[in-house]
Amino acid sequence: MNDAQSKIYDILKARGIDAENADGIKEEDIPEASERFSKLMEIYYSMKVTADMEIPYWYNRLWWENDGDILEVRRARAVGGAYAHSTPTVLPYEKLVMSKTKNFRGAFPFPWVCASFFNSLAESLMNEVDAPAESEADAVSVVGAGGGNVTESYGDIISIAKKFGMRKEEIPVLVKVSKYWEGISVEDISDKYAQMLPDYDQFKRNMDAVVVMFDSFAIPQGREVINYYMPLQYGFDRIIQLCDEKINETMGEAGEDGILGMSRGYYYAAMKEITAGLSKWCDNYGKRAEDLATREPDEEVRANYLEIAQVMHNVAHKRPSTFREALQMTLCCHLGVVNEDPQSGQSIGRLGQVLQPFYEKDMEDGITTDEEVIELLELYRIKITCIECFASAGVSGGVLSGNTFNNLSLGGQNYDGLSAVTPLEYLIVEAAMRAKTPQPTLSVLYDEKTPEDFLMKAAACTKLGMGFPAWMNNQTGMNFMLRQYGAEGMDLYDARAWCLGGCLESAPGCFMPLDYNGKVTMIPGGASPTCGTGIHFTGLPKILELVLTNGLDKRTGKQVFPPHNEKIDTYEQMVDLWKKYLDISNRIVNRINNMQMDIWRKYNMPAVNSLLKPDCFAKGQHIGNCGSRYNACINFESCGTITFINSLASIKKNVFDDRAFTLEEMTEALVNNFGFKTAYETNVFSPDFRESTESASKYDRIFAACIHAPKYGNADSYVDSLLKDYHMFMLHYLPTLRSYYGKPEYLCQISVSTHGPQGFVTLATPDGRLAGTTYSDGSVSAAAGTDKNGIYAIFESATVYDHSQNQNAQMNLKLHPSAVKGLSGTRKLLDVIRAYMRKGGFHVQFNVVGSDTLKEAQKEPDKYRDLMVRVAGFTQYWCEIGKPIQDEVIYRTEYDQA
Amino acid sequence: MPPAAHSPVKNMKAEDIRKPDMEKKGLIFDIQAFSVHDGPGCRTNVFLAGCPLQCKWCANPESWICKKHLMFAEKMCKYDHGCRACKDACPYGSIVITESEKPRINWEICKNCRTFECTGVCPNNVLKQCVKEYEPEELVSILRRDFNNWGAEGGVTFSGGDPMLQHEFLIEVLKDCRKWNIHTAIETSAYFPEEIFLQVMEYIHFAFIDVKNMDSIAHEMGTGVGNERILSNISALKASGWKGRLVLRQPTISGYNDSDENARQLIAFMQENDLFEVNLLKFHRLGTTKWEQLGKTYEYSDHGDMSDQRMKELQNIYLKANIACYIGDDTLF
Repeated sequence: MNDAQSKIYDILKARGIDAENADGIKEEDIPEASERFSKLMEIYYSMKVTADMEIPYWYNRLWWENDGDILEVRRARAVGGAYAHSTPTVLPYEKLVMSKTKNFRGAFPFPWVCASFFNSLAESLMNEVDAPAESEADAVSVVGAGGGNVTESYGDIISIAKKFGMRKEEIPVLVKVSKYWEGISVEDISDKYAQMLPDYDQFKRNMDAVVVMFDSFAIPQGREVINYYMPLQYGFDRIIQLCDEKINETMGEAGEDGILGMSRGYYYAAMKEITAGLSKWCDNYGKRAEDLATREPDEEVRANYLEIAQVMHNVAHKRPSTFREALQMTLCCHLGVVNEDPQSGQSIGRLGQVLQPFYEKDMEDGITTDEEVIELLELYRIKITCIECFASAGVSGGVLSGNTFNNLSLGGQNYDGLSAVTPLEYLIVEAAMRAKTPQPTLSVLYDEKTPEDFLMKAAACTKLGMGFPAWMNNQTGMNFMLRQYGAEGMDLYDARAWCLGGCLESAPGCFMPLDYNGKVTMIPGGASPTCGTGIHFTGLPKILELVLTNGLDKRTGKQVFPPHNEKIDTYEQMVDLWKKYLDISNRIVNRINNMQMDIWRKYNMPAVNSLLKPDCFAKGQHIGNCGSRYNACINFESCGTITFINSLASIKKNVFDDRAFTLEEMTEALVNNFGFKTAYETNVFSPDFRESTESASKYDRIFAACIHAPKYGNADSYVDSLLKDYHMFMLHYLPTLRSYYGKPEYLCQISVSTHGPQGFVTLATPDGRLAGTTYSDGSVSAAAGTDKNGIYAIFESATVYDHSQNQNAQMNLKLHPSAVKGLSGTRKLLDVIRAYMRKGGFHVQFNVVGSDTLKEAQKEPDKYRDLMVRVAGFTQYWCEIGKPIQDEVIYRTEYDQA
Repeated sequence: MPPAAHSPVKNMKAEDIRKPDMEKKGLIFDIQAFSVHDGPGCRTNVFLAGCPLQCKWCANPESWICKKHLMFAEKMCKYDHGCRACKDACPYGSIVITESEKPRINWEICKNCRTFECTGVCPNNVLKQCVKEYEPEELVSILRRDFNNWGAEGGVTFSGGDPMLQHEFLIEVLKDCRKWNIHTAIETSAYFPEEIFLQVMEYIHFAFIDVKNMDSIAHEMGTGVGNERILSNISALKASGWKGRLVLRQPTISGYNDSDENARQLIAFMQENDLFEVNLLKFHRLGTTKWEQLGKTYEYSDHGDMSDQRMKELQNIYLKANIACYIGDDTLF
């Protein structure tokens, strides 16, 4: 506090005003991250993303060596054996060890899931191997580009999927391993049977027109919450014993189940294999650390290696007996799961509640400190950030933007219905504030019972501009759980165990009794397979476009849907046609995705995950055989909701209410992009960029009417009611679609990054959006620049329907740091969050924009149309301010932050 | 062609700022949500149109006009190849397209416009209608809706312009705010008849009142009016036993009111009236584009800037006199 401030406090105090506790107080400075963290991050920043063939080689070899064996056992041997053969890498400053592959930021291909990508590249890859190496200068110049991404081949490295670098000597292994799977990968087999469907062509047309994006087999696991209970409760050696006991009990016994009862014995045999593989994997890291210790001259570093060795040998056999061992165990299991399939969104879940008993005991015993725990949690962040997903370029770039969404949830309610926040969760937030890494992303399960000081700490973290924690409504989540999983017997207790799987996929959970430190603690964890992999990203505006064009895709000239040949006279008739086309798309896409996932679960069933996920072990069934407690988890994913709703509003208003012009005139304007050059011609995809053609003036009137039509996000019931209608329709329609588990489907409103590519293929839309530009983001965010009445009006619009009808609702907001500076700013941010949660908003996340962004915004103001700055009693749009003032504000913002 | 006058006061004709004959309908030029610097907590800030002062440095010059009027954001026009939408829409022939394909408007015609045909046709909102009419109930229903969002401390701030210019409308709304237990704040010039001023303030919990210059002649030169009525209203408010909290405000402008002498006089006035909080706002030039959009010349385009050093010096003068002096957004709520 400076002199002026303390003087002000004195003056106010003399007047009976306690300002110390009021506004304007600076928050405590955030301490630096630990030295170990900084050293390892230096390594991280210099590392490239790699793909190598070690694990695929061993998987492939073991799979074929066990040819003819029972499939689940064969699969577990291949997965577990591959881990046991994986080269362990231990770095000098690590405390937590293990990674996906021998490389720091490594991943590998899964040709048994999808081989066509590599087989089609085989020839060109082999040619690259034979090509002479580039000059060193060329090689160096590429290395800098794109962070860790290897976007182009250089030196002895070959770029795969524009992201991964693979060493040339491994390419022949990739090509050879992929050959084994030609025609028999999950992709190939499911496609073979899909072709038997008479509507297979319809499916192909949907995918080619990008009405629907991407296939289920591409990432068959993830968008779910992992469950760490088994190894924390028993340890690997005891699990192997338990498997033997269960084999004794169930092998050769069908019980009451004549179809799957006999599978139980094979399941336990498989679990024995996979547990042995995980155990060996850990032992190998221990041995590696011992080996390094024998050759390490520095005493401190040597002691560290020996500590690692001890932890890893313990984790390999016993149940964890310290916080560090428990954290290491969860990391081992997490990597074990993410390595058994291409996947993203394998969420960590409520880790601070799972590990609290271990933290608590260590603190009681006086063998650790909060600072030590924070350091471990910082190092944990690096480990999770290093998890890469190897998928095709379309999936990793177009859908995931390179993130693997290992979401860590905080808060919510515990088994007894009280606040679940633990002391360890405060440290998890603290570690995230000190150690700035993109993963794991944090989500707060906001409940009225969540302690205020925890909410304040989480809000202070949100303010740092990293975009997390995101804020989820716990009650809405619990209501959704009971709604979707009630038929499977979910009760209030299990509903309390939910959290985020993937970025925004609410996933069911359950509590398990962890017996540790002389007491039983009910710890939460996931209890379902993937809460995704149903009908993937479906572009709602694209389907509306096809209604207007009689099913013909004007961009490609292909007939996507059968012509409806109707003259559209009413708004209701148009919406009915939209529903009809949506249903045509859904029916066939659902069947084919069901087949993809069915082939996957038969040949490629989860091994590690089937050990961990309740109630697989209790039932003796793997995840593919409905071993999980809850299986009604497969969804329909929408994209472009608000673009679609705004388009409906524009048509309803201009064509059917005001009769300003006809639907045919509107359609002609859309096909001609309102007389502007298309983004394909100009190569500028900003929604705000327009370049006219000669026929521009022809559509002036229609274009302005479309722009000025009512827009979602302004508390305008004309358009908001259409959003509500849409949701009431989807609520009753989607459960008519059944998943491969035979359960009703439901609405998932995440677009991830697909509003880019799906916007790309969509003509101009009736809301005034131009061809090729992105759809609106999120599912309840306003389309950029169309919300004129501020944040409270958006909240009003967003909550016109009950958010617990769906798996999620996505609200993205931007705030300027000056609006939330200091302690009072944190309170105000929390006021905003609380306001939205009280209205039943399901999710909100914030971009708190800093001066770096303002500088960018200055260079490209059109991209930052909705950015506002506040200076001394006066708010103005950034792009409406002249450059000299912008410079001043940039300067001042930095000054404020210092 | 914009009028070539230099003084903003001369730019404005009497009928432009006269209170119109409306029966308690409010003329509002903006409502901002999540306003965090204009009173305690998170607030909704309602900007009422019209102001009895015309300060030469004003950052919201569009707020002076207490009627629906046009704003022309020439620089926002992107549609520069062949668009004639605004020109075609205007029935008065006020808009011409220049050789550089940009629209140009005739302010002499546009300032008297009541129909605004051009504003609904531009996709870029280059031509925008400022000021909308609200029934008191309409505004109150928005405030009651926003009440869900403010949190424990927040409420509504009435700003402007000067909200007291529409005191009949304002009091109607304030009565309802009291009924619904909504926290109220105001930003006002206090340049009103004492009776009206006190009547409004009766419903106010928190007030910012501007004292732009302690020298009445200088006050008139900068704002168009003297300061006597403002100062006497503040004294009357304190004498009335009003229970709210009052923070005086001063936009601090180099060469106009940044002297030690002005500070000393304000301190003397505050001490006489048992006031102890003042908020100095460093002069900024963010309103420049708005002057252009209204077809006016901005006198303060090249002077008036304050250094941070000088702001701190002024702050110290107040602090030494035991007056809590806040700079910029740092007012303690």
